Amino acid sequence: MLLCDFHIHTKYSDGSLELKKVVDLFGQAGFDVIAITDHVVNGDSLIGKLAYKFRFTITEKNFNEYLENIEYEAQRAWNKYEMLVIPGVEISKNYLSSDKSAHILILDIKNFIPACGSYESIFLEAKKQNALVVACHPHHMKGEIRNTLYLWKNKQKYGKYIDAWEIANRDDVFNVVSLKKYPYIANSDFHKARHLYSWKTLLNCEKDKETIKTCIKHNKGVAITLFRR
Amino acid sequence: MLLWLILILLGLSFIIYFFQVLALRKKLSEEIPNSFTQPISIIKPLKGLDDNLFDNIESFCKQDYPEYEVILSLENRNDPAYRVAEKIRNKYPDRVTIVIDNSSKALNPKVKNMMKAYRISKYDYFLISDSNVCVEDDYLRKTVSSMTEDVGLVTNLIVGVGGKSFGAVLENLQLNSFIILSVCLLDKFLKMPCSIGKSMLMRKKDFEEIGGFNAVQDVLAEDYLIGKLMHEKGKKVVLSNYMIKNINEYWSIKRFFNRHTRWAKIRWKIGGVKYFTEPLANPVFIASLIPFFYAFSNLSLILLLLSVLIKTTGDYLVMRMIKEKPGIQIMFSPIKDLMSGIIWFVPFITSKVNWRGNLYLISENTVLMPVTDSSLKRTYLKLKTIFSH
Repeated sequence: MLLCDFHIHTKYSDGSLELKKVVDLFGQAGFDVIAITDHVVNGDSLIGKLAYKFRFTITEKNFNEYLENIEYEAQRAWNKYEMLVIPGVEISKNYLSSDKSAHILILDIKNFIPACGSYESIFLEAKKQNALVVACHPHHMKGEIRNTLYLWKNKQKYGKYIDAWEIANRDDVFNVVSLKKYPYIANSDFHKARHLYSWKTLLNCEKDKETIKTCIKHNKGVAITLFRR
Repeated sequence: MLLWLILILLGLSFIIYFFQVLALRKKLSEEIPNSFTQPISIIKPLKGLDDNLFDNIESFCKQDYPEYEVILSLENRNDPAYRVAEKIRNKYPDRVTIVIDNSSKALNPKVKNMMKAYRISKYDYFLISDSNVCVEDDYLRKTVSSMTEDVGLVTNLIVGVGGKSFGAVLENLQLNSFIILSVCLLDKFLKMPCSIGKSMLMRKKDFEEIGGFNAVQDVLAEDYLIGKLMHEKGKKVVLSNYMIKNINEYWSIKRFFNRHTRWAKIRWKIGGVKYFTEPLANPVFIASLIPFFYAFSNLSLILLLLSVLIKTTGDYLVMRMIKEKPGIQIMFSPIKDLMSGIIWFVPFITSKVNWRGNLYLISENTVLMPVTDSSLKRTYLKLKTIFSH
């Protein structure tokens, strides 16, 4: 089984560690697959504007540099740890209301996707790029004032675009995803070194980007595990 | 009267500190011209994820040494270190063997973990190496060069590196000042055998003559006991001046406290009354007693600040001697000293130790006894469960 984490932030957005350090931290711990998913924040809200001000977001301007650096680190990680590194982003539509907010992982992204577009346009663009779409922390999280509930509340409308839902995020488990029998994965939403020890995905497939995407989409051979020191 | 007593102790502690630094200096200037290169079996017990684990293990697979094997031993495949071990074995299939075994009844988890690995090891010389150390490619050659006919055990100095969190910074400061200096003082001036479990090279013949792993399976300080038994057998215990790196990157303060309260309990159980002399190696803590007993008068604060300044400068120089860049982190050295002063009292309160998830009670000479929940605690936990529902 491949030990995977598909939701990781670096200093490119609001993570506390540099990309290289993040890759090494996961490589040293024996991971097989990780996805780097820094935030792309919507600029059309107060929270979004603050994220731009403090550079907690990937922008169209630095997106190519971001991808190039991930590609470089992916090569290094493969040579040293035989660990696959997938480029991704977390489209973060943040509003004051939890019901309006949503975060979406786009895994294996190729071109920049702005966060201020409509949900439909984001999903269609992701599909065009043959990227994987994951709804992250879709339900209430313990200790969070602001949740991201929009996709769950509109699952009938947008469910068809979503390849998988986060059933667990760091220490939270969303049993509603299990009850609906939706395709699932579990991630750390890594921001700090201690987040390494959290929920993770196990995949029973080959260590290859396309196979991994197919495995998640079909949701066969997928398990979750609480990774501890 | 009390003030004078504290001042005398403070002066004495700076004299001891001076001798400690001198001992380190002497140790680092030693030269060992031996070219002994017998084949070696390296046994690495793994349990859980240490910081930098992949590089730590890999550094042992890249040794510039003619003939050796690396055996990675684990209790079970569910251990997170197993994945790392597997990756290393795939990378170095001719060099690395993985052993999974949980059959031994030893109470010391490290000894329990190593028993099968020892049985299957190929060579007459073996080296026990902890999973949280990283070495350069000349480590084996230089460590083995200290092994001669009259030597029973070769062990190494350790330095802490890589601190990226406050807990890790404290840990590395403690290793790079108090621990390394104490070990050198014991070795150079007090001529006491020092064996450090992070790296122990032995001849199987000698090891079996002192009783092998069976002799140390139920004690916590197996490294100390092995050294003691070797010494009693008339074999030399050599502290090599080759420094191995103990990688501590992301430690919490709790983890720092846990390790050093455990080590303090070990020293108390081994040293007995000698343990009472230990605060003399901590001038900052002794100096802090002056304002504690005599309020924060100008004189007491000046004495404390002066002591902090001298000790911090001394620690800075020690770091330079062991080729570590102290940086701004050296400023935390007095905080670390005060914390270790407090830690010193812990062994008088409890004999419980928590080691890699296992809870034990330790008695004299660190003999282990497993801890079971007391009936009172069990009742409390039951009631807590009932009321939480």
